[in-house]
Amino acid sequence: MPKRKDIKKILIIGSGPIIIGQACEFDYSGAQACKALSAEGYEVVLVNSNPATIMTDPELAKRTYIEPLTREYLEEIIAKEKPHALLPTVGGQTALNLAVELSESGVLEKYKVEMIGASLRAIKVAEDRLWFKDACRKIGLEVPASALVNNAKDALRLCDQLGFPLVIRPSFTLGGTGGSIAYNKEEFAEAISAALDLSPVHEALVEESVLGWKEFELEVMRDFRDNFVVICSIENFDPMGVHTGDSITVAPVQTLTDKEYQRMRDAAAAIIREVGVETGGSNVQFAINPENGRMVTIEMNPRVSRSSALASKATGFPIAKIAARLAVGMSLDEIPNDITEKTPACFEPTIDYVVVKIPKWQFEKFPGADSTLGTQMKSVGEVMAIGRTFKEALQKGIRSLEPSTPWRAPAETPDSLLREKLATPRPDRIYWLLTAMERGLHAEEICELTKIDPWFIHQIEELTAMYRRAAGVTVETASKDLLREVKRHGASDEQLAQIWRTTPASVRLQRARYGVAPVFKRVDTCAAEFESFTPYLYSTYEDEDESDAQQRPKIIILGSGPNRIGQGIEFDYCCCHASYALHEDGFETIMVNCNPETVSTDYDTSDRLYFEPLTLEDVLAIVEREKPQGVIVQFGGQTPLNLALELKRNGVPIIGTAPESIDLAEDRRRFGRLLEELKIPQPRNATALIPEEAARVAGEIGLPVLVRPSYVLGGRAMVIAYDVNTVQDYVAQAALMGPARPVLIDQFLEEATEVDVDALADGTDVIIGGIMEHIEEAGVHSGDSSCVLPPVSLTPAVLDTIREYTRRLALALKVVGLMNVQYAIQRDTVYVLEVNPRASRTVPYVSKATGMPLAKVAARLMAGKKLESMHLPVVRNNGVAEIAVREFYSVKSPVFPFNKFRGVDTILGPEMRSTGEVMGISTSYGQAFAKAQLAAGQRLPRKGTVFLSVNDRDKKHVGALGKELASLGFRLLATRGTAAALEASGIQAEAVFKVNEGRPNIVDLVKTGKIDLIINTPLGRESFYDEKSIRRAAIRYNLPCITTLAAANAAARGIRALHEQGIEVAALQDLHKGQAAPSGAPSSGASGD
Amino acid sequence: MNRHKIPVIWDIDTRALVRHIRNVGAPRGIVSTDGTPADQLVFEAKQLPSMAGQELAGRVTCPKPYGWGKGSVEVAISPWSEQMGESDAKPESSKHRVLAFDYGIKQNILRLLVDHNCDVWVVPAQTSAQEVLDLKPDGVFLSNGPGDPEPIGYAIETIRKLIGQVPIFGICLGHQLCGLALGGKTFKLKFGHHGSNHPVKNLLTERVEITAQNHGFCVDPDSLPSRDVEITHINLNDHTNEGMRHKKVPLLSVQYHPEASPGPHDSHYLFTQFADMMQEWRQPGSSRR
Repeated sequence: MPKRKDIKKILIIGSGPIIIGQACEFDYSGAQACKALSAEGYEVVLVNSNPATIMTDPELAKRTYIEPLTREYLEEIIAKEKPHALLPTVGGQTALNLAVELSESGVLEKYKVEMIGASLRAIKVAEDRLWFKDACRKIGLEVPASALVNNAKDALRLCDQLGFPLVIRPSFTLGGTGGSIAYNKEEFAEAISAALDLSPVHEALVEESVLGWKEFELEVMRDFRDNFVVICSIENFDPMGVHTGDSITVAPVQTLTDKEYQRMRDAAAAIIREVGVETGGSNVQFAINPENGRMVTIEMNPRVSRSSALASKATGFPIAKIAARLAVGMSLDEIPNDITEKTPACFEPTIDYVVVKIPKWQFEKFPGADSTLGTQMKSVGEVMAIGRTFKEALQKGIRSLEPSTPWRAPAETPDSLLREKLATPRPDRIYWLLTAMERGLHAEEICELTKIDPWFIHQIEELTAMYRRAAGVTVETASKDLLREVKRHGASDEQLAQIWRTTPASVRLQRARYGVAPVFKRVDTCAAEFESFTPYLYSTYEDEDESDAQQRPKIIILGSGPNRIGQGIEFDYCCCHASYALHEDGFETIMVNCNPETVSTDYDTSDRLYFEPLTLEDVLAIVEREKPQGVIVQFGGQTPLNLALELKRNGVPIIGTAPESIDLAEDRRRFGRLLEELKIPQPRNATALIPEEAARVAGEIGLPVLVRPSYVLGGRAMVIAYDVNTVQDYVAQAALMGPARPVLIDQFLEEATEVDVDALADGTDVIIGGIMEHIEEAGVHSGDSSCVLPPVSLTPAVLDTIREYTRRLALALKVVGLMNVQYAIQRDTVYVLEVNPRASRTVPYVSKATGMPLAKVAARLMAGKKLESMHLPVVRNNGVAEIAVREFYSVKSPVFPFNKFRGVDTILGPEMRSTGEVMGISTSYGQAFAKAQLAAGQRLPRKGTVFLSVNDRDKKHVGALGKELASLGFRLLATRGTAAALEASGIQAEAVFKVNEGRPNIVDLVKTGKIDLIINTPLGRESFYDEKSIRRAAIRYNLPCITTLAAANAAARGIRALHEQGIEVAALQDLHKGQAAPSGAPSSGASGD
Repeated sequence: MNRHKIPVIWDIDTRALVRHIRNVGAPRGIVSTDGTPADQLVFEAKQLPSMAGQELAGRVTCPKPYGWGKGSVEVAISPWSEQMGESDAKPESSKHRVLAFDYGIKQNILRLLVDHNCDVWVVPAQTSAQEVLDLKPDGVFLSNGPGDPEPIGYAIETIRKLIGQVPIFGICLGHQLCGLALGGKTFKLKFGHHGSNHPVKNLLTERVEITAQNHGFCVDPDSLPSRDVEITHINLNDHTNEGMRHKKVPLLSVQYHPEASPGPHDSHYLFTQFADMMQEWRQPGSSRR
């Protein structure tokens, strides 16, 4: 049946900010849905609060709203746009929950909006664990025994019936938030109360444990004609008990016979039919008891998911794109397979390779967090690797994670510790597996300890055996056959260099001598049965190369690898934009990346896609094959930058800012000299390699100081030190951690305002892309700080200074492309904190705020165009060109994963910990801030009680804030000191106890719901138990908790705006109306130059 | 594999092989383990006769008839509802007596027939129509088998005589033989259909089945008498014929393997249709004779 004609306008809800459990895979699927529906002629209205996404690019939808994802805002947008239909299945759990809310509150009915892709009933059956279990039982499928509880007493009674261990899962939460396993009554009592708190419906499922069972997932699709296909089967390497998002997973399934697999396939078909998902993709999870083959159904997601994104990348079958078409009434056999062009999408992809996904964790950012893996997802990103064997794919996956050094167990690790490391799943278990094999532990014992399927253990055993053989020779004596065989096992040159005690370069040389080089194979959905028209490639060591490299002008763009804190979707956005712009300009664009969640690894983003690790070896192999005119390293964050110099040394043409300039900007000493020459102030600074030196220079600079390693991104391991001992300890630690790179010690500017600037330059001209004022003061990592564009409190003189310094820096560093500068303004003096001659995290936000796609312009500059010829809409201030700013404010706010890491202090500092960001737009600064807060999940109260507790430094300024809050009608509570400070300014505040002062104290008040807003600024370096427990309670009870006075002032303005303005929404297309075609301007303007 | 004496080909670039076959068509080939030089093997392979025109079914069929009573261990359609294995429950008299022609028959077909309440006798390919009719079966099954259907003249002749006399169900080679018996033609595909993921559309229900396929020859649908024959299934990859039924007499056949194991279970319904066809044929007052 052809697509539906009775609907024309379709609302798509995105998934909001990147959080653990819901990351850029939903940008990938949402963007695909937008593209597919627009291509079918529908008007797409998109809502998403996340500015760093490709889907919120104004070209992707007819109407794009960057607004908070709440019922109120959605209703406003629906009232304004009057869409005919709502597609809720491509924006993760957020979109699904919101759609349910809109439906149940009558909004959809009121505005006659039809839900497509999944019915309310289907969503509820799939999401409600009890309904789902009933549905499964009805069709004769087994499920784990369980019961739903809504109070602790009933729950405790259940323990006796079901026995331990038990799994506890709160209803309706994302990524298994709050899920846990209890082995005894004490653990159970704690777990159940946490789970009930976390569930929006105060409900949790208590379930028979299937711990240690084999875990599988099927990605399936169904159309309205009841055609059913399995797109991909996925097996979890880690057995049940570890969240699938935290498991190493493998596609296709490796350890099932066809009979077992077909039984699962039939079950999945029966489930999707019974649940009633009429069109679209779903994910069904199964567990199999390895003892007796008993299969139980675990869960089903009636929407595209992280796994479906993985499945799409693993197979070349674009699930979200097809799901969107099915939702408007098309059938699978009407939709062509993009890759083969001639065959339909109604088939089951064949995988003639093995795909391994490995999660990326960052526990080092959350000291105190429990790194044991369980039913709640804790990883921040993932890599995918493709090889012709499991061994090859696993090894490629491990190196895609970019471990700073290949992991080795300390030699003195006792076997008892080794066994514990195997038995308890943690991020490093895969390394301990290898260690155990090397130590000669029996495969059976390893299986017993880990519950990992013997087949996988056997594979790892073979890997270890291979290495043992390799260790018997040297790089010179290794035969061609041996070299080829180890490469076929996925070994990197770096690993071999380690075994052979030589350099990766000499391994490469030896390979070249023997002609042992990778070939590139295609992901084509059909095991080569049909010709493929989409060059989606991976490397392996076999006979025939299928890359079919073209002789056109071409540019390679290096992506940013796995998502991590500080290097996430923003960089992927920039890489995609570079690809779009260069493609428009006639280049063949080639993307290299290993992150399956992203838009950049969609096979139709670039002309060619290499799904490969971003290591020197892998990139060089691609460059050798493709021989591009240029390679772009400045869009993918630190990952490609770290390769820049080595690539250049190997003769790779890096375009844009020279790697030497990037290196100069990172080199404190040389960069300091440059700033002196340019007469630009910077905080006093020095570097140190040893603790004694550090103590001396810290004394010279004057405390407090900021201490951090060189080559940073996301402020990894950065601290503010208020005493010399901290500085010394830090340097001693750093020396242990990594390769010998000096530690940086900077004067820390207290009470300064931080400013970020993104600028474009071509070597001759400079254009400021945007100036962002941080709302938190200096000291909070720029990625964790809210900021506003245009600035709201800087004087014209300061702004002019910033512009002038930016111009000088860009020219001095010979920047071609993008540059980001961080400034600190202390008492009207502008200091440069940091310059990064590359795309920054703020590029997509600035692009959305100004309507100017900076990354596209930058890519063109790198390919040789000039700013002058582009005729960008600029204004000149102090003689410096700047992208014209519209008359509205755009506030960016970060989103933190603290609810996943219980017990971790939430105080902000120089270590970046946010996983994502949102944007609020309004004609008033206050409203923009309030929207951003709301979008980030901090619902600012309009009335009620505010608790204030500020440090001595802030006490001087707290009066104005108190006055504003009081005038807004808030009741003020404060700790004794803060109350006294308020009183000194003539504001009445009731004093309350700190935690150690008596009861009821402030935490008691939070727990009993007596507080609506917390303003708690920390006492310098000291973090008292009191403050921590307040902030922890705030997280637990989901109360807005503001930790800087600047943000508190902004919040007060926001609350005032909420009082005075009410709810307002605006589409990007309206906000940027009149901007000379936001996306196309540079290309048309610059043609012919 | 060693223990079970199963030869395995491994560690070759399978994609290179597939791409080669895709480009040049299915070539003749030789598998050797004795170290004979490659050029010698190529020479020998070139001497091999082409698949087209060879009568191979006669070489692989059973020498004499035998009965088959085993069903599949777990009835594969829905393993979780064990009552599906209903064959044992029915009284002996209500079972369908099926004669299955062995042109190279796969055992899973026999198991599924048993699962669908059939009493199965397997007979050699050369069994004559009269011999079949003398046994008064409720239905005749025409099996899969190797190679080109055209040279198997005796089978085509037999089937022609059986059409209309008894319900017939054919799979793969059996389907092609039906096509020829009905007056159609067959042709050789460039590199055939091989795999367990081929989409086949059932034109009667408009639903798509994922099927297992393994055939090098194909029935030309335009060659079939449209007065008598209805095309029921097509392959969505290349739109070749995958199934047909007779408009007037009980006959249905498919080119693919609904019984395949390994393979999806989407098409097991065909066995039910065959059983229903026989049931109807047995009803008093049906068009039988």
